[in-house]
Amino acid sequence: MSIVAQRPTRPTRWPLRLIWLAIIAIVVFAFWKIQINWSSLADFPSQLWKYLGLMFAPPDVSTVGQSLSATLLSVQMAWLGTVLGIIVSFPLSFLAARGVAPVVIRLPMRLIFAVIRAVPEVVIAVLMLSITGLTPFTGALALAIGSVGTLGKWGYEAYENTEPGPIEAVRAVGGSRWQVVRWGLWPQVSPEVLALWLYRFEINVRASTILGLIGAGGIGKLLIDNVQFRIWDAVGMLLIVVIIVTMIIDQISGAIRYRLIYGRWALAGYGQRRALLKRRTLERK
Amino acid sequence: MSTELRQRPAKPRQGWKVALSILIITALTVWSAIGVGVDFGAIVRNWSNASDTLVKLSQPDYTFWPETVQALVETVLMAVIATALSAAVSLPLAFLASGVTNPSGWLRRITRFVINVVRAVPDLLYAAILVSVVGTGALSGIIALILFDIGIIVKLVSEAIDSVDQGPQEAALSAGATWTKAGRTAVLPLAMPAYISQVLYTFELNIRASAVIGLVGAGGLGVLIDNVRTFYHYHYLSLIILEILILVLVIEFFSSTARKRLAR
Amino acid sequence: MTDSPQRTDITFEQVEVAYPNGQTGLSDINLHIPAGQMVGVVGLSGAGKSTLVRSINGLVKITGGDLAVGDLHLAGLKGADLRRLRSTVGMVFQGFNLARRTTVLNNVLMGRLYHTSTWRTLISAWAKDDIDMAMDALERVEILPRAYARASELSGGQQQRVGIARTLAQRPSVILADEPVASLDPPTSHVVMRDLQRINRELGVTVITNLHFLDLARKYSDRLIGLRAGKLVFDGTGDEADEQAFEKIYGRSLTAEDVMDAKPALDGA
Repeated sequence: MSIVAQRPTRPTRWPLRLIWLAIIAIVVFAFWKIQINWSSLADFPSQLWKYLGLMFAPPDVSTVGQSLSATLLSVQMAWLGTVLGIIVSFPLSFLAARGVAPVVIRLPMRLIFAVIRAVPEVVIAVLMLSITGLTPFTGALALAIGSVGTLGKWGYEAYENTEPGPIEAVRAVGGSRWQVVRWGLWPQVSPEVLALWLYRFEINVRASTILGLIGAGGIGKLLIDNVQFRIWDAVGMLLIVVIIVTMIIDQISGAIRYRLIYGRWALAGYGQRRALLKRRTLERK
Repeated sequence: MSTELRQRPAKPRQGWKVALSILIITALTVWSAIGVGVDFGAIVRNWSNASDTLVKLSQPDYTFWPETVQALVETVLMAVIATALSAAVSLPLAFLASGVTNPSGWLRRITRFVINVVRAVPDLLYAAILVSVVGTGALSGIIALILFDIGIIVKLVSEAIDSVDQGPQEAALSAGATWTKAGRTAVLPLAMPAYISQVLYTFELNIRASAVIGLVGAGGLGVLIDNVRTFYHYHYLSLIILEILILVLVIEFFSSTARKRLAR
Repeated sequence: MTDSPQRTDITFEQVEVAYPNGQTGLSDINLHIPAGQMVGVVGLSGAGKSTLVRSINGLVKITGGDLAVGDLHLAGLKGADLRRLRSTVGMVFQGFNLARRTTVLNNVLMGRLYHTSTWRTLISAWAKDDIDMAMDALERVEILPRAYARASELSGGQQQRVGIARTLAQRPSVILADEPVASLDPPTSHVVMRDLQRINRELGVTVITNLHFLDLARKYSDRLIGLRAGKLVFDGTGDEADEQAFEKIYGRSLTAEDVMDAKPALDGA
């Protein structure tokens, strides 16, 4: 093989290269423009070590009861918020689905969902705070409103991703509009929709913690109080309780979701939530 | 034969499962309602105040706009920096957390456990603590966002790696590659769309989070929200919320367009 | 192009493969495959064809006996030694196993991974020599003009030839092909088999192919090996593989499903 054939040259993909350049430029600009006392970053590791020591070596075990009851209040807020959110969003999500409701209803519904999703739960809570005052109950209402945005969207997307066959079949036997929904649509999507409700509960557990920081009570309130008074060993205990309770809820909820989607029990771990993952990577929110 | 009565199958007894589920759900809801203190009456009683506030909220004071610009920019910068750094840190961690690319069981389990612990703490909690550790301002916010982001990116990207086609990896290994080399050349190209999509999604989350993270003093628009709400400046508050709404919708529009292109 | 591959004979001595679920993969296999031979492995699905081929590069671990490739013994081989062995034994897969989202060239460069340091791999800084070898390999399978195309843009036959180029880039002394044409149509199958045959003739590389179709195996192999239920039941040239031998391998007489270009049988049916 002494004759070397003409080799193709490496093509330059300009659009791609420009996008990368733009991204790099934006990131560099952000670092250059942001006002940060970089010297405090140098102290960060030693500071972090010091505070971790204050919090966890050892945590104040005597506050465990207090931490647990505050955490349970947060979980209660999350649960109530999820239930109220489901009650409101469930009928609305059908009204936003193609093939169920006419355009004049569908589009406004979708707009409402989109606007709610754009506003962080904390901001909704700040609004509630200004309007009705912030109690655990209004915190739950804020979570409910936030849930309506995501659950509504997930719902109508699930309804629109169904097979047309079973729906046609119900139409063919003379089913009414709502019979089509009940027997053609719902059986197809119910496992997924129930799983998404649980997933939203997991999200609300985290969000309810946050709401406490601005005064809705629960774990967040206890935490911000302890941080302000610099009672670090109590903060450490709180964090431990939050992490354990959240992980337990995630595991239980994940196992139930797995059961709903795949029809059998398994500890939901990594790589076992594909059905939901597929949705999440495609649509997100 | 047709006259013979056939034994009908008994209806399987599934009823108790449904009943039990309903019972548990009802019990949880009642327990929550009592614990939280449901009181719709209070809202009605507060309504006279509320309507007044609502009127103010519906009239944003646009003259306040110049004073919000800096915080708005800071919000975006925080989100950009946090996304970039967490994206860089998360990629190798995701490869460590996936069974496809990490043959070592214990290393994988440790990585996943740490990630699960990190993921269990919400971003604002990190921020509340970090503000005490490194002081108020954008830095504590950025670190809080990074911690939160690593949790979600690693989890979702490692799940994406778990589900890639393992054929190319087998080919690379059968050519004598190490797991690291095979991961880089044969798995990464396949996981790349999921990774980029996840990073973009995280950027959306960061925009929303960095807008509120300032409520505990960690920089961005949240600091402003905290100031105006303490002084009951509802005209200002509604302007800020409007800005967040527009910012989030604009960023989401671009990001979701990009992600849809990736999915094709 | 050849760096005169060193003579790599492959020797099976009483090789056993038992799967963890207790199933037998191979039992009591004795074989000597001298360097430079073109070997076809035939048998029913589940007879152990794949297991035999994959045991040679350690993708399947042998559980008894001795399997030697050159001077390396497969039993207990692992880590860097196993990778060294694999770097000299190329493998072509039924499903091509290409990273379809990346370029043809990158796929072929995977054949050079053993010889590339980890940090170079991480930043895709391939050595010029490696790129040369990859390009040479692509030229040999006549895909060179498509070097910078995405692998997914190629047809099935072209993708399999990229798979072959990937093994050629390894500069292998042995190529294993596990059902290389099972996902291809008949004309393309012949093109791919001719490629493998040419590589065997021109470069002196041992090629071991397991094939479903008996006529393909006969046509392109110097030697046929027949397996049934994990046991060696036939070892001879294609001409010796007569009706009798066939029944030993398949446990029944020849049907149209066992040959690719089955005109007489199809006409009869």
